Amino acid sequence: MGALLMIFRSRTGQSRIFKGVLSGLLLTVFLPILPSLALAQEQQEIVCIQCHSGLEEKYSQPVKLWRSSIHAVNGIACNACHGGDPKDMANAMNPARGFLGVPGEKDIPAFCGRCHVGVTKDYLSSAHGLALGKGGPTCVTCHGSHLVRKVSLELISEKYCTQCHNFERAKLIKDAMLETELLIVAIDGRIEGFKNQGTDTGKLEQSLFAVRNRFHTLFHDVDVEKVKKESTQINGELKKIDNVLQGLDDARRKRKIAGACAVAGALLAGLLFHLLRKTYA
Amino acid sequence: MENDGRRNFLGICLGGLATLAAAAVSFPVFRYLAPRSSKVTNGKVTILEKDMPEGEAKFFEFAGSSAVLVRKRGGELTALSAVCTHLGCIVQWEKDKQDFLCPCHAGRFTPEGVVISGPPPKALTKIPFVVTNGTITVG
Repeated sequence: MGALLMIFRSRTGQSRIFKGVLSGLLLTVFLPILPSLALAQEQQEIVCIQCHSGLEEKYSQPVKLWRSSIHAVNGIACNACHGGDPKDMANAMNPARGFLGVPGEKDIPAFCGRCHVGVTKDYLSSAHGLALGKGGPTCVTCHGSHLVRKVSLELISEKYCTQCHNFERAKLIKDAMLETELLIVAIDGRIEGFKNQGTDTGKLEQSLFAVRNRFHTLFHDVDVEKVKKESTQINGELKKIDNVLQGLDDARRKRKIAGACAVAGALLAGLLFHLLRKTYA
Repeated sequence: MENDGRRNFLGICLGGLATLAAAAVSFPVFRYLAPRSSKVTNGKVTILEKDMPEGEAKFFEFAGSSAVLVRKRGGELTALSAVCTHLGCIVQWEKDKQDFLCPCHAGRFTPEGVVISGPPPKALTKIPFVVTNGTITVG
């Protein structure tokens, strides 16, 4: 590489070309990762994380947990929930800058509900919500406060439900939801497969998100009959997405057949040309 | 003589192959340029004007997706896609506030579909409609 540089440097005109080519190559290599570098930079700039990361366990643990959460994956940082000014160390926790701090137990549903409005409405009208402040669960009882993960049916488990009551009723709801959940997981996997192969799956992902969200809010009602009734409708919605995926599968299969025919045709044409040429020999 | 016959046969075969190849290339181009079939474009929805009181919204299925027709207080009609531009949830009409709310992440839209607050990156898509003899035809 050094010898190569010497050769290029010996000729000023070529050196300029070399620099141009090198810049182009560097840009080609680094341009795709620039947005993620910018995002990393932006996250480092949030003073909440800078300060809390260096504090004792009680105050630094939320940062650690948040880093593995779905909120972090989607760029929802501390200030999105707790308010305050994430760019000004001195006023980061100033109530005048909208700092809310940690909500009291009764305020938790409203705290989360500023974004998750639909789920909060369902929760508040359920047995869980009606027991708010009287020993009933809040959002963080099941979802956690900082390590909030993408929800699956695994959340309805003895581990969580038996914190307050026995698992019998919850199991009934879980069983009623199982078939639809498996369908959602299977469709999600297929969409991911198409996405990895370069298919534009934006609309399908949106449709599945909407259906999954509607389905998961059902649990917040804690009503087995409602789960069963709505699951039938939701399965119909999932069937529509499944049909679109089936169409993509068919199109891909047809494309493969067409490709095989094109290759076979080209080989046959080559053979025929060869034989034709021989007739002139 | 024998070569002539063989040449003719091979020529016909190659001509056939070339025709097939030309057809294989032209057909997708033609299909892309040709107008859509009536099956796709005729998916119009009709709603009676008397079924749309002021301040109310009516949700319906349009072109395989959820849509909404809203009559503002004052009488003006708007037809919109009901799919939130954030993550694709279906928005809800808040009659008391006269705006749309997405239940997933609290995106809020005006009756014209313009974003008021929340994470949606753009307005709800407008859908064309006509009103004739008391019937609203969407699409």
